[in-house]
Amino acid sequence: MPTSVFIVQSDLVEHPRKSRWPARLDLLQSGTGLALALFMWGHMFFVASILLGKTTMWSITRMFEGYFFFGGAYPRLVSGVAAGILLLFVLHALLAMRKFPGDYRQYRKMRAHVKAMRHEDSTLWIWQVYTGFALFFLASAHLYQMLAWPQNIGPYASSDRMWSDGLWPFYLVMLLAVEVHGGIGLYRLAMKWNWPKFSRNFLKKLKWALTGFFLLLGLMTLGAYMKIGFEHQARYGERYQPADLPLWLQELAPEGDFPRRNPPAEDAP
Amino acid sequence: MNAENFQTSRCITLNILRYNPQDKASEPRLQSYALEAADGMTLFIALNELREHQDPTLQFDFVCRAGICGSCAMMVNGRPRLACRTLIADLPDESTLTPLPFFALIGDLSVNTGKWMRGMSERLQTWLHAKEAEPDLERIEERMAPETAEAIYELDRCIECGCCVAACGTAQMRPDFVGAVGFGKIARFRIDPRDTRDDDDYFELIGDDAGVFGCMSLLACHDMCPKALPLKTQIAFLRRKMALVA
Amino acid sequence: MKTRITDVLVIGGGLAGLRAAIGAAKRGHEVMVLSLVPPKRSHSAAAQGGMQASLANVIKGQGDTEDIHFEDTVRGSDWGADQVVARMFVHTAPKAVRELAAWGTPWSRVKSGDREVIINNEKVTITERDAAEGLIAQRDFGGTKKWRTCYVSDGTGHAMLFTVSDQAIAQGITVEERCEALALIHDGERCYGAVARNLMTGELFACLARATVIATGGAGRLYRVTTNAVICEGMGHALALETGVAALGNMEAVQFHPTGIFPAGILVTEGCRGDGGLLRDAEGHRFMPDYEPEKKELASRDVVSRRMEEHIRKGLGVDSRFGPHLWLDITQLGRRHIEHNLREVKEICAYFLGIDPAEKWIPVRPAQHYTMGGVRTRHTGESPYLKGLFAAGEAACWDLHGFNRLGGNSVAETVVAGMIVGETAADFCDDPENDRAAPIALAREFVRREEAKLLALLQSNGEENAFKLCTEMQEIMTRCVGIFRTADGLQDGVSHLQRLLQRSRHIGVRSKTRGSNPELVAAYRVRRMLKLALTIAYGAYQRTESRGAHFREDFPARNDRDWLKRTLAFWPQETEEEATLPRLEYEALNVNEMELPPGWRGYGAKNHIEHPDTAERQFAVERTRNHVQLAGGDRFALQQELMPYLDKLPARLQGRNERLDEPL
Repeated sequence: MPTSVFIVQSDLVEHPRKSRWPARLDLLQSGTGLALALFMWGHMFFVASILLGKTTMWSITRMFEGYFFFGGAYPRLVSGVAAGILLLFVLHALLAMRKFPGDYRQYRKMRAHVKAMRHEDSTLWIWQVYTGFALFFLASAHLYQMLAWPQNIGPYASSDRMWSDGLWPFYLVMLLAVEVHGGIGLYRLAMKWNWPKFSRNFLKKLKWALTGFFLLLGLMTLGAYMKIGFEHQARYGERYQPADLPLWLQELAPEGDFPRRNPPAEDAP
Repeated sequence: MNAENFQTSRCITLNILRYNPQDKASEPRLQSYALEAADGMTLFIALNELREHQDPTLQFDFVCRAGICGSCAMMVNGRPRLACRTLIADLPDESTLTPLPFFALIGDLSVNTGKWMRGMSERLQTWLHAKEAEPDLERIEERMAPETAEAIYELDRCIECGCCVAACGTAQMRPDFVGAVGFGKIARFRIDPRDTRDDDDYFELIGDDAGVFGCMSLLACHDMCPKALPLKTQIAFLRRKMALVA
Repeated sequence: MKTRITDVLVIGGGLAGLRAAIGAAKRGHEVMVLSLVPPKRSHSAAAQGGMQASLANVIKGQGDTEDIHFEDTVRGSDWGADQVVARMFVHTAPKAVRELAAWGTPWSRVKSGDREVIINNEKVTITERDAAEGLIAQRDFGGTKKWRTCYVSDGTGHAMLFTVSDQAIAQGITVEERCEALALIHDGERCYGAVARNLMTGELFACLARATVIATGGAGRLYRVTTNAVICEGMGHALALETGVAALGNMEAVQFHPTGIFPAGILVTEGCRGDGGLLRDAEGHRFMPDYEPEKKELASRDVVSRRMEEHIRKGLGVDSRFGPHLWLDITQLGRRHIEHNLREVKEICAYFLGIDPAEKWIPVRPAQHYTMGGVRTRHTGESPYLKGLFAAGEAACWDLHGFNRLGGNSVAETVVAGMIVGETAADFCDDPENDRAAPIALAREFVRREEAKLLALLQSNGEENAFKLCTEMQEIMTRCVGIFRTADGLQDGVSHLQRLLQRSRHIGVRSKTRGSNPELVAAYRVRRMLKLALTIAYGAYQRTESRGAHFREDFPARNDRDWLKRTLAFWPQETEEEATLPRLEYEALNVNEMELPPGWRGYGAKNHIEHPDTAERQFAVERTRNHVQLAGGDRFALQQELMPYLDKLPARLQGRNERLDEPL
């Protein structure tokens, strides 16, 4: 019918609705960023457990491998988490890339702009780009490592990686990049969505305080692993075995492991 | 009495970007001008003095010279400011003046903000979309809560000077970005009970990467706005509302 | 030659021009606006205080009507106004406010209940009616009997201009930004548009139009100390003057605003005094009640400015290195009020003076503020001398303000005049009587003429410097044609200006580019400004009386007997290049047609010389009043009897205005 054609043309085709995707992608970028940043903070606390002693770190590692729940250690669980994080990370990177300078000319313009403006939040953004770019490589490498060899986490295994395998510079750079990137990112999220509704001044201070705290914690932790690695280099490859565990943990451990005072090895390679 | 009474004069240097895009032989360059600072001298007075006594070819824009019309925004030592209310006394002995980036250059310090702003207005339809085409002029006006009127005026104070766009990192990379000025306008009409548009309509205007989802929240717009508009919270608010639409 | 053809050409993108453009466009005509700057940068934006319209919403405005607004306006004008125009204006002003409200202007609104205000330096509690809650609020302004000034915080002009400009964008009206009209295209009888110059490229083009509207605002830049923007150089006035056919009216009527920031001349709004601010002298003494016990700080602007200068002459001003000044004290209004209702004032004080007005007094001295004179038009806005030429707003003299404009009547006038002239210009275009073939040859001739003038300037080896001439002119105007005028001073001023005009024929420009060239612009403008300055100074010299803002120390009384007439200035056409003085003619005001016969203003000096017809007219008015009252007629009936005007308004503006106390 000619009339219906007319209606379709005038009413429906003329005004295609704007795509909802940019909105969703922006939300997703914020969401993945938030998840990654919160994960990083948790991760940092777990890793820093080495400062409380090798046994604590060993216990936490074992906990994530399900040792206290499933009657045995399953490092593949860690692989699973790593895979999840990798997925989040890749997604976040892809989304964030949309905001990166598209070519060298844009980058030059942006850098000149930031330099001329001497504006803190703009300067922070360019640092977020730098650190984000670095994390493309560093975080990917680290995540792949955890994905492929989840068993290589532990008081000695990790320390050997730092020292004897010579990876400490890698971790140092990654630490700086992650903390700077995450801190700025969280602050910007708060600005972007105006939540939590604290004053910008306070949030900025909080951001610096948190970044400082986690950097300090991270450096101390890195130092601790390096020290253990240095002392342990002669026995490279040996796994940590706790001499003792608090009683409540012994009770959670697979039956027979601790009453026999014969704990399992960290895991045979 | 105090030291400033004894200070007779101060010589300052202004490095001004000179470029005439109409003249094929012209190349962008910084030209230095020396000038004696006077009491209460603003960049408005200083630049006019330069033009009248040193260099009649110098191009710049001023209209109200009282910080109301938004004509004279320029980069003063790298940051966008209204030149008319920039006191020489607050500047270092040597300063650099360049035109606002992003906008089409007319010559030297003069840029075509007007053309861009009109384009932005047309694109974002920054006028009241009223219920009736022709209001009844004889009847008592529609009522509005005093607080609502104040809130609208708070956002209506924008003078379209372009400082926010010049300060915006996103705009540096996205020539189609609507800028804080555009968001401010949408926020203004959004809270106006006389406007018939809803969030779905506004989403059509700013719900993309050239709009509110392209903004990277660098907040230079908020920090550089000469009228101290609450751009930070308004843009965040719009983003939330637009995200809800999606 | 590039030729653009349109129905209505509007020169000037401020409130008056844009509103006229919208009106004509809504009537279905093609409209083009030429604007020196992006329209939202126009000087209309600088009007801070408000717009008068007798809405009578606030309790202190209760009982206000068009009648009282009319009387205030006529008294303010010192009886120089055209009373029919004043009637048309006060009738349309409420409609203008309401139209703007419907278009989006965020007028400040009435909050019902008690609030504290400062009246005559005392805290007073007033109670707003519940019925008025949410209606448009009014504040007090100088020279008004009621609180009548509608406002948007202290950014009224800004908010109005943005509303109207956005509506113009919505209508898709073409605005040629950064384009200047150089000359009107006319044949001595009919105006056909204008020759325009693109200030960015230097290109000249012809704009042919059926109706041409001049809405270019004031000419404050003729003076050294002015509140006006730098673009207010009177170029619209000059366009009309240079035709040699059209007349400028009452150019000697120049208003000085009492509170220009000293010494920059930046305006602080009358709202400061309206809201309770005081004027103080070197000793901190509040001196205005000594001079004006009734209205004090809130007498009309001409009176307050004159009293201030008088006080300074007595040696009671505050000395500074730039000369004496007085203080404006708004500290008693309190920080909250200043930061909410007078924010622009606070910003201006902070940026230009480095002071906080909630704590310190503001140094002020009267500064040139408003050009009452303008392109003489009929009540339709059309020039009686050049068909097809219209004018609206400050550039026009349809004669709403006479010799002194009331605060709050300027932005009101812009919109009202725009509403009316938009319609009359559209009517003009609709009338087949006015159809003419587009005169291309004439346009070519005018473009060629302007081209030649520019070329001559560029090629001139003259020694004169345009910027210097301009400064000299401004000094002379401020010194000789300011608030206090004398025959000697004016004569001195006129002869100085004549010499300057002669010298301006030998201007040389150093920068030879034909494109964007600020020095070239200054050169061709200063010649025109000098002609305007001469019409002002010469008109002032000839007018041997004091009226409104025109004050002659040697003739301190208003002289209705000899001077109840409007000055018309023409620039001699035949000898355009040699003439150094305008030709003046006078147009008598008819007392017998006045609704409000001349009398005392209610403030200022009580020394006027009566017009012979005044007594008779007063008697006639009284008699009519009694008749109408006996016959049970209301105020509308009385008004209709005294001076009918409604038929002169466009039909859609003729209806009555509803008020809380005056339902339709």
